[in-house]
Amino acid sequence: MPLMSTWGWFRSPELLARICTKTQGFGLQEKLALLSPGMAAFMVQIAGKKDFPALLPLNENELEEQSVKGHGPGGQATNKTNNCVVLKHVPSGIVVKCHQTRSVNQNRKLARKILQEKVDVFYNGEKSAVYKERQEAQKKKQERKKRAKETLEKKKVLKELWESSKNVSEERTADSDRMYCTAYKE
Amino acid sequence: MKLWGQMLWGHLSGLRGRQGGIWGWACSTWQSHQPQAGPLSASGLVKHWTAVFEKRGIPEARESSEYIVAHVLGAKTFQSLRPVLWTQPLTAQQLQGIQELCNLRLQRMPVQYILGEWDFQGLTLKMAPPVFIPRPETEELIEWILEEVAQRPQAVGAQGSPLILEVGCGSGAIALSLLSQLPESQVIAVDKKEAAISLTRENAQRLRLQGRIQTILLDVTIEDSWTHLLPWGPMDLIVSNPPYVFHKDMEQLAPEIRSYEDAVALDGGEKGMDIISHILTLAPQLLKASGSIFLEVDPRHPELVSSWLQSRPDLCLGLVAVRKDFCGRPRFLHVQRFVP
Repeated sequence: MPLMSTWGWFRSPELLARICTKTQGFGLQEKLALLSPGMAAFMVQIAGKKDFPALLPLNENELEEQSVKGHGPGGQATNKTNNCVVLKHVPSGIVVKCHQTRSVNQNRKLARKILQEKVDVFYNGEKSAVYKERQEAQKKKQERKKRAKETLEKKKVLKELWESSKNVSEERTADSDRMYCTAYKE
Repeated sequence: MKLWGQMLWGHLSGLRGRQGGIWGWACSTWQSHQPQAGPLSASGLVKHWTAVFEKRGIPEARESSEYIVAHVLGAKTFQSLRPVLWTQPLTAQQLQGIQELCNLRLQRMPVQYILGEWDFQGLTLKMAPPVFIPRPETEELIEWILEEVAQRPQAVGAQGSPLILEVGCGSGAIALSLLSQLPESQVIAVDKKEAAISLTRENAQRLRLQGRIQTILLDVTIEDSWTHLLPWGPMDLIVSNPPYVFHKDMEQLAPEIRSYEDAVALDGGEKGMDIISHILTLAPQLLKASGSIFLEVDPRHPELVSSWLQSRPDLCLGLVAVRKDFCGRPRFLHVQRFVP
């Protein structure tokens, strides 16, 4: 499929040199395709509705990362524990700061995942899958809250009735029971 | 960088939103010193100890106090704590725990030894002095190896189950992260120090990987010691983060490293090449044809290793790739055995 190119992989800043030639596979799904936002939105639309529609992939070349950089010699000669990763998506200006784990590698991955979701919402707005999922989750939460509140109200009413029926004399017990039942049915 | 740092605050405030979960937490470190957090809250304690550490010249003052307080509260990082816990008052027991750990930091003990654990490639490993603490750069070595193995499955053992030799396993970080992400792989992990072998074994057991790792006390610089490894058969890969610090640089190391980590795990001799050259020498005897060696090195080593290999054509090894770390320094080498 022409949309997924290996451009991003070739321009990866990590690989300094390859002296011998090797076959470049498509195997690396995480490697990033160069897609304009318009193209990416189209991709989202054509992706199947049943499964997860693809999020806009991030282009590594459009990211600026500020992690544990440039302090001292690095490697074995240094022991830095500051593993916080700050990642910026330059075209949109969105920034994510991630310090969820003590592993800089994990934080970098998480930061990219979070940033990808935010960028997706930024460009796709209400059409974004992330936005939709969030809306659904919020809706469910609100429904649960509403039901919980209603149940609480009912319990409150019943309790009050129960309290008041205890004070009434025994002769009037039958009446109270009827009242109890009526209130409950309501 | 500084200018967009100020703009960043604006962006973060705008984008934070009311949702909890990882979105909120990812952007919430800025809130760690809220005015309403009392002095005996997590935030208050971080603030207090940061000031103490700074006054005493302890490096990474804020990071150290955050890790210690988070650890006592049962979390890995301060940012990953539920925000409500930042402002609640701590128990006397928690306060005492923090006090004890911070006192160790005042003695320049590395945070990883204070906590007794650290994270590496998604694994939590036990840490104990003087066994070498895994560095963040080395996580990228794992990433590279995994990419290579994925790209050339035919070159890594029958049915894609690579046999890997690690030289200088330390806490087991490299061995265990490879095992955990290559479910069919097997590792032979060697180290010349008993403490390292013992810690690697313990971490393997904690992670339930002990079935696929063989730990051997072995000094590869001793002549012919590598012959002990022959019974396990030719290897697909040799990996190592060998001691590569130049001897004259050893005295420049921070007190955290000099006073607590094993110097033997760091000192690579005059040009940091002593153990590297030994590994490259034994490699052809232990590697399969076209087998690979992956090394972490000092940024000055790519050139030194290249010329060294040229001076040893008998080894039939070639430097095929150099990879930079996230600081942009040449840090990792891929050397391959070729059949002439």
